[in-house]
Amino acid sequence: MRKLIRSYTFRTVVQGLITIWAVMTFTFFLIRLMPGNPAQIKIDEYVDRYGMSEDQARQQVATLFNYDPDQPVFEQYVDYLSDLVRFDLGRSLTSTETPVAEQILRFLPWTLFSVGLALLVAFSLGVLVGLAMAYWRGGLLDNVMTVFASVIYAIPDYIIALLLIMVAGVQLKLIPVGELYGGSTQGIEPGFTVEYILDLLKHAFLPVFTYVLATIGGWMLTMKSSTISTLGEDYITVARARGLPERRLLTAYVGRNAMLPLMTRLAISIGFVVGGSAIIETLFLYPGLGRNLVLAIGLRDYTTMQGIFLVIAISVVVSNILADLLYGWLDPRVRLGGDKGTE
Amino acid sequence: MSASADVRAVLSEKSLVQRLSSGTRGTVRALLRNKAGFLGFLGVMFFIILTTLGPLVIPYEGDPRLDRLRPGARSLFAPPSVEHPLGLDVKGRDVLSHIVHGGGPLILTALEAGILTTIVAVALGAAAGLLGGFIDQIISAASNFILTIPQFPLLLVLATIVTFDNRLGMALLLAVLNWPTLMRAVRAQVMSLKSRDYVEAAFALDLGLWHITTREVLPNMISYIVVNMIFTIRSAMYFIIALMFLGLVPLTEPDWGMMIFIGKQQGSLSNPEAAWMLLAPVLAIALFQLSLVLFTRSLEEVFNPRLRQGV
Amino acid sequence: MSTAQRAPLVELKHVDRFFRKGNATLKVLQDINLNVYPNEILCLVGESGCGKTTTGKIIAGLLNHSGGEVNVQGRPLASYSDRREKAHLRRTFQIVHQDPFASLNPSHTIAKILSFPLLRHKMVKNRTELAARLLELLELVDLTPPQDILNKYPHQLSGGQRQRVSIARALTVQPKLIVADEAVSMVDVSIRIGILKMLLRLKEELDIAIVFITHDLALAKYFAWQGRIAVMYLGRIVEIGRTPDVIGNPAHPYTRALLAAVPEADPDVTRAKEEMPLRSEDIPGLLNIPHGCAFHPRCPFFVPGLCDAEVPKLAVARGFNQEAACAPLELGLPLTTYAG
Ligand SMILES: Nc1ncnc2c1ncn2[C@@H]1O[C@H](COP(=O)(O)OP(=O)(O)O)[C@@H](O)[C@H]1O
Ligand SMILES: [Mg+2]
Repeated sequence: MRKLIRSYTFRTVVQGLITIWAVMTFTFFLIRLMPGNPAQIKIDEYVDRYGMSEDQARQQVATLFNYDPDQPVFEQYVDYLSDLVRFDLGRSLTSTETPVAEQILRFLPWTLFSVGLALLVAFSLGVLVGLAMAYWRGGLLDNVMTVFASVIYAIPDYIIALLLIMVAGVQLKLIPVGELYGGSTQGIEPGFTVEYILDLLKHAFLPVFTYVLATIGGWMLTMKSSTISTLGEDYITVARARGLPERRLLTAYVGRNAMLPLMTRLAISIGFVVGGSAIIETLFLYPGLGRNLVLAIGLRDYTTMQGIFLVIAISVVVSNILADLLYGWLDPRVRLGGDKGTE
Repeated sequence: MSASADVRAVLSEKSLVQRLSSGTRGTVRALLRNKAGFLGFLGVMFFIILTTLGPLVIPYEGDPRLDRLRPGARSLFAPPSVEHPLGLDVKGRDVLSHIVHGGGPLILTALEAGILTTIVAVALGAAAGLLGGFIDQIISAASNFILTIPQFPLLLVLATIVTFDNRLGMALLLAVLNWPTLMRAVRAQVMSLKSRDYVEAAFALDLGLWHITTREVLPNMISYIVVNMIFTIRSAMYFIIALMFLGLVPLTEPDWGMMIFIGKQQGSLSNPEAAWMLLAPVLAIALFQLSLVLFTRSLEEVFNPRLRQGV
Repeated sequence: MSTAQRAPLVELKHVDRFFRKGNATLKVLQDINLNVYPNEILCLVGESGCGKTTTGKIIAGLLNHSGGEVNVQGRPLASYSDRREKAHLRRTFQIVHQDPFASLNPSHTIAKILSFPLLRHKMVKNRTELAARLLELLELVDLTPPQDILNKYPHQLSGGQRQRVSIARALTVQPKLIVADEAVSMVDVSIRIGILKMLLRLKEELDIAIVFITHDLALAKYFAWQGRIAVMYLGRIVEIGRTPDVIGNPAHPYTRALLAAVPEADPDVTRAKEEMPLRSEDIPGLLNIPHGCAFHPRCPFFVPGLCDAEVPKLAVARGFNQEAACAPLELGLPLTTYAG
């Protein structure tokens, strides 16, 4: 049995590694298919902005970073791969030689913080409200919340963000939107000071609030239906017949069992925390990984794009494996590999 | 002899027509049964009529209307009035005319993308589920692969490579990115339907894989597929607007996404005066998406054979 | 009447069937030897989970075997390589399933369900012929008036009616053998007899063989009195012979136990009935099939050192006409109650 689980895990891990490699390779060649290259974009910029001649600009750019657009793509791939096995993600092509790893480490915390916080809030709140909706099914809370959840679930996140800015910010002046853009206020010294932390929270408010609104409806509705089916199970009836107090029944039995199907979803969602939301971060000028990826795409910063794609792919694969294992662990039927016959 | 004639009548067109008409009545009843779903249906109908018949009634204003500058005003923006129920945009053009003319292209592209995605997903899901083995492994690996790449950034990259001068190209691209989720669900359904007794009976009767797929397995998934197609349309629309939002698709007017892009560019996000040219498309998109999601509730009832024929 | 005169339709020789379950292997069928002759009735009897359905599906060609040989109409199954030949073979064997709610596609009318095979295999030339054939089929299975049934969807019919439609559907392709897998166990007792009588009539009129699968020995006795019975236990055949021999003079202790459990006051059964207190009510799982005779942990006549040593072979013991797989019987030992 132990051996079996181990071998299954092993297989999953190998599959995950292959997927990561495939994504890495695919994105490597894909982003080099994009029209324009980082050198050319820089050259154009110098020509346009500083009025240099084409040749001047070309020389200037050549001293700035060592990207040779004429090197065969396959050679570049082999170079990249050999760096990668030494855990070297290369250097950014546009931010004057900053190592990509350093860049990722700089932007990642913002995304992890904002998306992670939002996931935490949306999940716990959604589960609690969903449980209550199912328990007092047909009541006022259920009716109001079902409408709310369905509506909020149906509206795209960036539309929510726009409405937030326009209605709550500009029209009603409930939120001082103008002060909230970006990651932190310039001039406040980063550090473990109350002032800085409050400032961080303030600036994270818009993206976090948007993420929470965009996802909470889904959690509420899923938890509601999961709870309703749990309430119908025999063991709940039995527990109730045994005279278990309602509150204990709700928290210890119903809530816990109804949450099981949500756990794998949660694990998968965690995988997407790293990528953040490119569009929401762009909209709020939030300095996360998603916005940085959009910027890198615009500048054709191959190495940065490559690094970010890789980090996202790894986190998605890892969380999928976790979800898989979690599912097997929660549902003993799957652990044996299912009832499927093999011909 | 007369019994045989009866049987022939059963098989004839006339009874088919009868069956169809009773089907229509059932459809209407199913539509009405779910209140939220019916509301969604009305919403979808509203937008379809608005964007198809509306352009026949309301002329399109493409050129700037400097003549509408009111004396003393700093900009051409104007709040709703009787002549212009949704106000004027940055160039003094009627916002309503852009809403009416700018929904069609967007909705059509999303529709095409949704249909294409569904076709790809159903074909691959059915193949994976029915044939199993090597083909299943290949298809599943491909879907895992696509799901591992962050969708929106990938779309951003692809958007620079593929030029979207035509709608179909855009729809195709969205289909390539969006098929895996639905494919997985179809595959799971097919696997479970495959082991049904009536499918085994069809194998024994040698009715052929095509018959088994199209006549035995798929009819029982129609409701599921249609509902998911709606969700795919929705997600296609999400991506198209997101691309426009960042200014990454060739931007042609009139288009709701374009209205948001221009509005954002003109600083309307912080300009209370400009709210209308931005709020109108934002609300239109939000309401259309909401209607689509609500509408799926009714569709479930319409297409589920057991829910319907039980009447 | 005599079955031996005609060559068997299907021959199973030392057939095994395994299923993988995680890393374990379920030995669902082991060393099955069984012939099905044209126009005969063969009953497979045994407790649920003993492998009857699996055997039936292998006979019908709907499931591959894992080991052994399957010969069809005198030729190895593998030798049917031509596509048309294979397709034709497939149609020669049909199955009628147990669950009347799962065996018909809910999204088609009965007319459609029956027309599909007729049209696909060009068994009718035009609409008139199709109509006539549909009528004929429904009358064959006693569904009248046919025009009422044709327009209906499966869920609008009763369980018994659906089973009749299932049978009619099997008949569309003019099969030589029908595997009826618990075909009446889920319909009301009151209409079982009607369906069984109809099946017997169809067997005579259409010259088909019927493999009748049931867990109910009384039903087997009624249906297969003119045919044969094979009793299965944990993936093996433990007794096989003509029905009157098996019912009237059961050889294997397991068959005797099954008969003892038949509740009704049935004169034929009662004659052979005896008290059979089993040593254990629990059926062992397929993952740990007992060594030797799989029945020995439950058998009241267990002989230590003999029954648990080797898997007994099917053989005709003295005093019997049928074959049974029981070591003490084969050695001619009297069956005495095990006291340990
Ligand atoms: N596809 C399959 N995969 C795994 N195990 C199976 C499969 N089909 C049947 N089995 C197992 O084989 C055993 C015999 O099944 P079956 O032939 O249906 O028995 P019966 O019809 O006598 O009740 C059962 O234990 C069942 O779990
Ligand atoms: Mg069975």
